[in-house]
Amino acid sequence: TGGHTTEILRLLSCLSESYSPRHYVLADSDKMSEAKIRSFEQKRAETFSESQFSLDRIPRSREVRQSWISSVVTTLYSILYSLPLTYKRNPDLILCNGPGTCVPVCLSAFLLGLLRIKRTIIVYVESICRVETLSLSGKILYYFSDYFIVQWPDLKKKYPKSVYLGRIV
Amino acid sequence: FRFKDSLAEELQSADLVISHAGAGSCLETLEQGKPLIVVINDKLMDNHQLELAKQLHRDGYVLYCNCSTLVETLQLMDLSALKPFPPGQPEKFALFLDKVFGLQ
Repeated sequence: TGGHTTEILRLLSCLSESYSPRHYVLADSDKMSEAKIRSFEQKRAETFSESQFSLDRIPRSREVRQSWISSVVTTLYSILYSLPLTYKRNPDLILCNGPGTCVPVCLSAFLLGLLRIKRTIIVYVESICRVETLSLSGKILYYFSDYFIVQWPDLKKKYPKSVYLGRIV
Repeated sequence: FRFKDSLAEELQSADLVISHAGAGSCLETLEQGKPLIVVINDKLMDNHQLELAKQLHRDGYVLYCNCSTLVETLQLMDLSALKPFPPGQPEKFALFLDKVFGLQ
């Protein structure tokens, strides 16, 4: 969604073409991100001729302020939905930065890894908005990601297993 | 004005920006090098949006007030005391990932 998309596209801006093809996963209710992504990829194709990407949509796992119990149910549903998608796209790397959409995708990849079907590296970058506290997605994925990146020193202190590179967006 | 794709044009021609504490608004404004006053919504006290605005204020990049103190802030403000906002460095992230995948 919105701010998350802008941030993640900035994170992608300096990546080489080794990070290809790029598979974007969006919430079905997200109206604005697709345009931003296409514009980004279009610009990229001007420099790197082989630029490949795809867009998939999954059911949104949780609405803002949705109740705890119904969130668990909708997230489980999203995880089940994500499993075949993650299996099909077969990523070496999953990069995410906090929207609810990323939790089921990462957890499905984590499950596939546990079952030894595919080993995916999960890199989570907490949003720049998060200075003192982690988002809910962050709190969950802190335990499931391979690399957890924070952008402010206070968070690095609170979450010692995280990586601090300064502001990267 | 509801949902324009980008406020970049308006930002470019502005001398001063007064905004809510949304991260996108704050960062876009600071990156354009415009002085910024962030107005906090008292009624959403628990809002994590405050974190970024508070930090940006602590670091000296923005001025900060709530709806009731806005007029006072505008009257007393010293915009020259605001520090220029250094851009983020996504290249550091690229370097980090390259190391993870042994692509260096």
